[in-house]
Amino acid sequence: MSEFLNYTINGALIGLLYALIAMGFIVIYRASKVFNFAQGELVVFGGFVVWWMITSIGLPYWIGIPLAFVAAALFGFAIERIFFSRLVGESVFAMVMVTIGLLILLRGLILVLFGPQVRPFPIIFPLQPVIIGDILIPRSLFIGGMITIVVGLGLSWFFNRTRPGLRMTAVAEDHQVAVSMGISVKRSVAFAWILGSVLSTLGAIIFLSGKSVSFLASEIGLAALPVALLAGFESIAGVLLAGIIVGIIQGLVMAYVDPVIGGSVGNVFPFIIMLVILFIRPTGMFGWKMVERV
Amino acid sequence: MKMFARTVLAGMATLMLAAPAQAQTTYNIASLADFTGPYADVMKDLNGARHSAVAWWNAEVGKDLGVQLKMKDYDHRYDAAQVASLWPGIKAELNPIIALGVGAPDATALQGRLPADGIPLIMSTAGYGFGWKSDPWVFNPRSTYAHEAAAFLEWYRKQNNVSGALKVAVFSSEASPAYVDIAKGLRKYADENKATIDLVEIVYTEVQPTDLTTQVNRVLNKGAQVLDVQTNTAAVVAVKRALQALNKKVPIVMSSHNGITASASAIGGIANLEGDYEVYGMAMPTDENTKSRQFYEKLKSQYGMKGGWTVPTVMGLNQTLVALRAVEAAAKKSGAANVTGRGVREALLSTTITSEQTFEILSDVKYTNDAPFPTTGATVNIGIVKGGKYITAAPGVPVPQIGKW
Repeated sequence: MSEFLNYTINGALIGLLYALIAMGFIVIYRASKVFNFAQGELVVFGGFVVWWMITSIGLPYWIGIPLAFVAAALFGFAIERIFFSRLVGESVFAMVMVTIGLLILLRGLILVLFGPQVRPFPIIFPLQPVIIGDILIPRSLFIGGMITIVVGLGLSWFFNRTRPGLRMTAVAEDHQVAVSMGISVKRSVAFAWILGSVLSTLGAIIFLSGKSVSFLASEIGLAALPVALLAGFESIAGVLLAGIIVGIIQGLVMAYVDPVIGGSVGNVFPFIIMLVILFIRPTGMFGWKMVERV
Repeated sequence: MKMFARTVLAGMATLMLAAPAQAQTTYNIASLADFTGPYADVMKDLNGARHSAVAWWNAEVGKDLGVQLKMKDYDHRYDAAQVASLWPGIKAELNPIIALGVGAPDATALQGRLPADGIPLIMSTAGYGFGWKSDPWVFNPRSTYAHEAAAFLEWYRKQNNVSGALKVAVFSSEASPAYVDIAKGLRKYADENKATIDLVEIVYTEVQPTDLTTQVNRVLNKGAQVLDVQTNTAAVVAVKRALQALNKKVPIVMSSHNGITASASAIGGIANLEGDYEVYGMAMPTDENTKSRQFYEKLKSQYGMKGGWTVPTVMGLNQTLVALRAVEAAAKKSGAANVTGRGVREALLSTTITSEQTFEILSDVKYTNDAPFPTTGATVNIGIVKGGKYITAAPGVPVPQIGKW
């Protein structure tokens, strides 16, 4: 029983990490209707910036981490200014193609800026696990899970209860309607990219604490995709629940199915969930239902 | 004056006699490289080793044979599709007599067409079970990764006087067929040696694992005495961090591509890997004064070696030396003007490349038509971190036999 609980709790915490990465997808999608294929690369960029600040330059954590967030925000803003501000009103297809180009560009940029080597990521959270009876919880995931819940609920409040958040929600519904109501679409989209980039850096810190950072870390962007789809691309609070569901299922499959069949079904299973969702409910569990009147 | 005239005449005569010997036939080598893919970080060393070894051979061996070799690099981003796309152009442009590869994408993309093209491909890595077929055109200078790990496990068991079966857990990933192949090979080895090896679990993870504390705890509860991680440095770091979190000291064994120096750099210092091992069938780039090290120093001082004394450099040297010795054997057999890709392959299959010929970078390499890697007489070296230093724990450990998987 304790083993089952162990896998369930750890799965839920890994799911919350996926949820944090998925929030990056969602904030950008909400503002611009763009699915950002380069989200994983933003995680890698954030990871390298943290490594550069703390390990390479040697800044203390309390200076290095906030500076990394500032750098990530500026980077997100620059992406929006250079690529997406010119695309307001253009087709979604054009924007998606730009994110694919961005993915390739970011890989090259990271290579030029930080080199191709695998870098040691600083130990931000203590290595010692949290032990409750027979249950053993990795501390980085435990603290990360708490941070994700706070961030998720905070963002949900922001988007639903504050004026700037509601303006972004209006932008998410329809750019032209938002413009006709005097809302600056460009400003909302810029803020979404800043937020998406900062969330990616936060995800990198939780994901990579004490490990190593390389291009491989971008794969977490792909792992977070089923979570974003399950939640629906519009719901911030829903992504927390979706992350927990995907994480628990993945954890239990890895624990009980993988050893029996001798393969890695656990890593594939979230994508099976994703396909099922796309068949049954394309808008996800908490996605907006659009009612069109002709 | 008379003396001077005689000397001049003698000199001219010598030059005229020597003139035919100066005629050199130039052949090409295709150097497949990954400058912008996942192994871009090691390519400076690996490719630098290739070029300096060719420069050495041209100057000290090829010159006397009447053969000069030119090498050109092609970036394939470690992508099989890119290799397949580049290859027709390489063939048309270079018409190489031999090619050097980086890893599985080269082998998978080209093994079907190399026999028709008549160009052998030499890898730097260990072999793979899925490539264990007769009539090879792709050659690995080392046994398979599973063979190399099995050699370590036998050595470790004896060294530590383990009376029953040594309990081993393997950390693998389905991200690459090569990683799965290692796990399958070790499964086969364990099944054939139940009295000595107990493979408690194969744990499949992502290539950049999120957290492995639960999985490591599970295999330790099953009694694992050795953790085999031959995938990548990210997995080594994740397993090590899990062991540190659990406050357990169980040795990890790594391979060449994710060995001690690479993993130490990824985890932030060699002290983190105290008591951990690496195993592979080629020289270890330790600080010890070996013949391999002396050869490297010679390349560095005289032949423009750009790489450091690292595992990728040794990998670059091992494949290039095998290729060069095969060309050498083919030229001796057929004549400098008649070297072909098919002739080089014949030389590979009929000649033993001795350890001395590779400056002890490899053990004796003897290919047969049954496998693309040496199946008999191969040995491995085992490295360890001891007292914070990277040293050789055991040289020349014999590789055991494993049935095909």
